[in-house]
Amino acid sequence: MYKYDQLDQTIVEERVAQFRDQVARRIAGELSEDEFKPLRLQNGLYLQLHAYMLRVAIPYGVLSSRQLRQLAHIACRYDRGWGHFTTRQNIQFNWIKLEEAPDALADLAKVQMHAIQTSGNCIRNTTTDQFAGAAADEIEDPRVWCEIIRQWSTFHPEFSFLPRKFKIAVTGSPNDRAAVRVHDIGLRMHKNARGEVGFEVIVGGGLGRTPFIGKTIRDFLPKQHLLSYLEAILRVYNQFGRRDNMYKARIKVLVHEIGIEAMREKVEAEWQAIKDGALQLPQDLVDQIAAHFAPPPFETLPAGIAPEYAQAFRTDFEFGLWARRNTAKHKQPGYAIVTISLKKEGEAPGDASAEQMQAVADIADRYSFGEIRVTHEQNLVLPHVKQADLPAVWRALKAYDLATPNVGLASDIIACPGLDYCALANARSIPVAQQIALRFKNWERAHDIGELKIKISGCINACGHHHVGHIGILGVDKAGEEYYQVTLGGSADQNASLGDLIGPGLDARQVVDAIDAIVETYLRIRQKDEIFLDTYRRVGLKPFKEAVYAAA
Amino acid sequence: MAKAPKLNDRPHVVTANHLSTGDVVYLTAQNEWSRAIADAVIAPNAEAAAAYLAEAEEQARRNIVVAPYLIPVDTQVSPPNPIQFRERIRAFGPTTEAA
Repeated sequence: MYKYDQLDQTIVEERVAQFRDQVARRIAGELSEDEFKPLRLQNGLYLQLHAYMLRVAIPYGVLSSRQLRQLAHIACRYDRGWGHFTTRQNIQFNWIKLEEAPDALADLAKVQMHAIQTSGNCIRNTTTDQFAGAAADEIEDPRVWCEIIRQWSTFHPEFSFLPRKFKIAVTGSPNDRAAVRVHDIGLRMHKNARGEVGFEVIVGGGLGRTPFIGKTIRDFLPKQHLLSYLEAILRVYNQFGRRDNMYKARIKVLVHEIGIEAMREKVEAEWQAIKDGALQLPQDLVDQIAAHFAPPPFETLPAGIAPEYAQAFRTDFEFGLWARRNTAKHKQPGYAIVTISLKKEGEAPGDASAEQMQAVADIADRYSFGEIRVTHEQNLVLPHVKQADLPAVWRALKAYDLATPNVGLASDIIACPGLDYCALANARSIPVAQQIALRFKNWERAHDIGELKIKISGCINACGHHHVGHIGILGVDKAGEEYYQVTLGGSADQNASLGDLIGPGLDARQVVDAIDAIVETYLRIRQKDEIFLDTYRRVGLKPFKEAVYAAA
Repeated sequence: MAKAPKLNDRPHVVTANHLSTGDVVYLTAQNEWSRAIADAVIAPNAEAAAAYLAEAEEQARRNIVVAPYLIPVDTQVSPPNPIQFRERIRAFGPTTEAA
């Protein structure tokens, strides 16, 4: 993975020193809250419902075991012993004291981590496929390009005060695990007719109060032009994006208002002026960065299923259940990708205790070259595990309650922090997720239902990605009571779609029964091999709507 | 059934976040701040509420707390119970067990 050079390290350390001074001046009364607030937000420090919350960047979701151990240390030393992994592949600590925040950031800087680009109207932390560099279906490793984007975008002076925040996601695989069609810019690597690898550039996607699926602005962008093309898009957005109304300030609204054709003309015109300039990427620089992401020293193993794995799969039912849901195909023969579920039924989605973080770091050191990934679905990943080691990894995870066999199933729910923690929320998310997960705890039923992505947001800002849930749930405040609107048929993958509203809102108790009724309807009418989303796309809202409101 | 009183007619307390720790705090009768809503001074009417808020805003200017505001509470129970659901979660903590 990428290792900081002296410049990266200096930037991060200087930032800590600067923020330490700003905090001291705030506490001494030399800075007012109005003066201080934008400064603390630029360092990822929010004032939330209960306390200050520190959002730490995990660039493109990649962590070393050493970094994960340091996050465990932060959780113990500065917080209440746990952290919350987010839908942006970051981690949040919920109970940080302002007076200790500079020390926490200094500890992060020791392991090349920080809270830069986690807030404010800048280019945020770039996200990608959690299986990058490991997935069997990958065309090229997207982390190289994420790192190039990180270096270009960090403290980019022209783009530090955009009309609104700006999020870029990259996938190097045709099976999109990074939700690139619902980002301000999505980059999808693919091959053109000549077999060259480049980017499809998608612009103007997003969730929030006005959700849009992004539109393709360029089918094929040669790799060496990535930064100049991004810069051209950002310039057009910076000039024409609306600053008069924060709810209309995202690039998706600009693209929607002027249309993709006009957007493309403006971007192309800007790009022609800069494309052969300083931002053209020299191959030797790309190679230097790519070298940081060279594959780890894999053993040469035979193709096919490792005998130790096959044996355990046959003889240990519980292991087999886990292996079926929580492992994915690796590009290297004899290896597998392991997803560690942070969705034990009844727990808060995405939460991990310091002890669990330390355990995962130890397991990664022993079995996955010390590498861990964070997924936007709020789980962790061990990217490079030998198939023969899978039974041992499963046992080690199980000892820390980290072997719930539910990846992609009904209980693997995305949930934002909701009204339990967030100052913006209108309704709670976590307790609803907990109740639904408990309802679908029975493994036999859950595996029979199969892939089902339930996503819950506690307000219209949609941090819980409800618009793109197969089943989406949005919490609203209706005269002081929590109500939940249910949408069906959303998807964040390569066939992205926005969910359709099923009908009037439901209260917290009704919503769990409603989800149950929707799932029962699916089980009754599904055709062979259909997952819930397929059935929904075939039959539409009607039977589900009838089932939900029949009892009401 | 008697009509529920409007929010503004109810007793209020002043809440804020403590500047250096971020803790949720309530203004007390001694013009200090407590993490427990049980210690909060109750403003029985709008006049008292305005006076307590003015004191709290002065303390915000002196950088003791951040962004003070008034919240309506039910004083028929002990400790006083915020009327708004959001404020009950602020007063008594998240409604979910953390990991």
